Amino acid sequence: MSQQTDRAEQVKRLQRREGWRRRLPLVPALVFTIVVTQVPFILSLWYSLTEWKIVPPEPRTFIGFGNYVDLLDNRFFREAVWTSVWMTVSAVLLSLLLGTLLAILLDRKFFGQGFVRTLLITPFLIMPVVAGLVWKTQVFNSSFGVLNWLLDSLWFERIEFVTRWPLWSIVSVLVWQWTPFMMLIVLAGLQGQDQSVLEAARVDGASSRAMFFQVTLPQLRPYLELGILLGSIYLIQVFDYVDVITGGGPDSTNVPYFVFQRSIGGGWQFGQASAYSIVVVIASIVIATFGLRVLSNLLEGEKP
Amino acid sequence: MAEVRYENASRIYPGTDIPAVESLNLDIPDGELLVLVGPSGSGKSTALRMLAGLEFVDEGSVYINSEDVTLTPPQDRDIAMVFQNYALYPNMTVQANMGFALKQQGVAKPERAERVQEAARILDLEPYLDRKPKNLSGGQRQRVAMGRAIVRRPQVFLMDEPLSNLDAKLRVQTRTELADLQARLGVTTVYVTHDQVEAMTMGHRVAVLKDGILQQVDRPRTLYSRPVNLFVAGFIGSPAMNLVEVSSEGTDGLRLGSLALPLDEQTAHDLAALDAGDYTVGVRPEHLQLASEGIAGEVTVVEELGSESYVHVTVEHQGGPLLLVVRAEGETMTQRGDNVLISCRGPVHVFAPNGERIGA
Repeated sequence: MSQQTDRAEQVKRLQRREGWRRRLPLVPALVFTIVVTQVPFILSLWYSLTEWKIVPPEPRTFIGFGNYVDLLDNRFFREAVWTSVWMTVSAVLLSLLLGTLLAILLDRKFFGQGFVRTLLITPFLIMPVVAGLVWKTQVFNSSFGVLNWLLDSLWFERIEFVTRWPLWSIVSVLVWQWTPFMMLIVLAGLQGQDQSVLEAARVDGASSRAMFFQVTLPQLRPYLELGILLGSIYLIQVFDYVDVITGGGPDSTNVPYFVFQRSIGGGWQFGQASAYSIVVVIASIVIATFGLRVLSNLLEGEKP
Repeated sequence: MAEVRYENASRIYPGTDIPAVESLNLDIPDGELLVLVGPSGSGKSTALRMLAGLEFVDEGSVYINSEDVTLTPPQDRDIAMVFQNYALYPNMTVQANMGFALKQQGVAKPERAERVQEAARILDLEPYLDRKPKNLSGGQRQRVAMGRAIVRRPQVFLMDEPLSNLDAKLRVQTRTELADLQARLGVTTVYVTHDQVEAMTMGHRVAVLKDGILQQVDRPRTLYSRPVNLFVAGFIGSPAMNLVEVSSEGTDGLRLGSLALPLDEQTAHDLAALDAGDYTVGVRPEHLQLASEGIAGEVTVVEELGSESYVHVTVEHQGGPLLLVVRAEGETMTQRGDNVLISCRGPVHVFAPNGERIGA
């Protein structure tokens, strides 16, 4: 009996040593990640509990949850939250809808399919700042923009899109960039479908419409959820597009941009700005938790 | 209830020259269970999918109930299919899976529920109606796939290796249940398998395919006792028939080593009319026996199966070693290394160099 426990102890020790041998090479990366992400985060947590202004320099004073309490009364913060929600929700849902339609198109074979797929993916490969600049100067611009050239040629009046619809201008760029991402996720779902299930549905007499809504779409559900969650996590922290396209202003200042405005963007209120960013982090964590749950469901579903 | 007919039906996959199925002619009468059997790549699944409408028919026609359905899409053929991996709808319960086809036909909900219930009773699936497929065992999934087919009361059942994902014991049990169910329902059934035992035990008739070409279609017993060519002879039967190349020496008949083979009259007569040359002789293990006289050999392996045993014996034949499988009693005393004598009581099958059967 005691010999058995000894053996079990030995095996455990061996396993532990083997585990460390595999993990050791990862330690430098881990240390680096902690230094550049977690340490600043903990500092932000601390700053969010203080009143701290840099220009003109004032001593940092601890005020507890004062900044968070003030948030609720701050009209500008509430507007930024609504802008964030609108921007994220509409961009995610529109890009998901378009992405799904394109994925269905790409799921069937046609001549030049690979070429078309590559072309459709390219918007996703462009840097956000570049995308924002291109849209601002070449598409929306009232003098040089393609849209206004089109309006002009059709004898309509020119429109300064970004000024008139700041939020929707940004959303359309976001949709343009994120549709390929959604398309790839949905395409993976479509191509991961069991072909014989579709054949069974055909033999069972299902019309194309019934097949899509009763067989394909329910099977795509985890993929759609995944797209929504990954998209939300990313789009809730969009900053570059806002900065480049509208530079803030009413209706397009979302929370990350508001944080920027309040801190290094001219407000210099680092305590307040930290409190705002903590709120964004909490929101992201909530969404990410759902996301991970969906992801694990997806992986579980693949087991026979 | 329907009869099915293939008429010179061919399928040539795009990008290939060799047909997957070549001019298939088959008549399947109403209520028959016909098994398509062959090694992988023989075109048996393709032939089935042509009947289902899931595969195009490039030449020839397919008829169900003397109606030409060659160009009819699968949903209008009134057939039900059971797939190898069952292809259940993963997002639907057992009940919804079984009722799916009826729902597509616009059958009202109460009647749908009733028919699903009835099928579930036949298949012992009643306790599982509200489960999703992923919460069922392999055997239960297989029964749901069957249920989905019988709920429809289709003209024809198509089954594509429906038992190959079950473990050996369950497969044998389900095999008989399936054959019984088919007989009770009396629905014309085309059944594809690569397992010749399954084919022999289930089929009213069995069609053997090889390289897309139909070799022979007959009742299992005839297939076993009168294979039309070398391929069928070697494919049907377990353990396989002993196939030996033998040179004929004019009118002297055929000899296996020193053993003269007993040929029936017709075969001997037909053989006499042919030139001397190399023929292939086939003798089933049960038609050879360990005896007190005959050809001498040494035992290499004894396979004990309980009720019978198969003795592998190396004999000398035309200047080289030759392995023969002989059936012996269940409790044989024979061991590896024993020297034994083998005699042959016939029947003996003889095949020409091109593989065709000689004689009746």
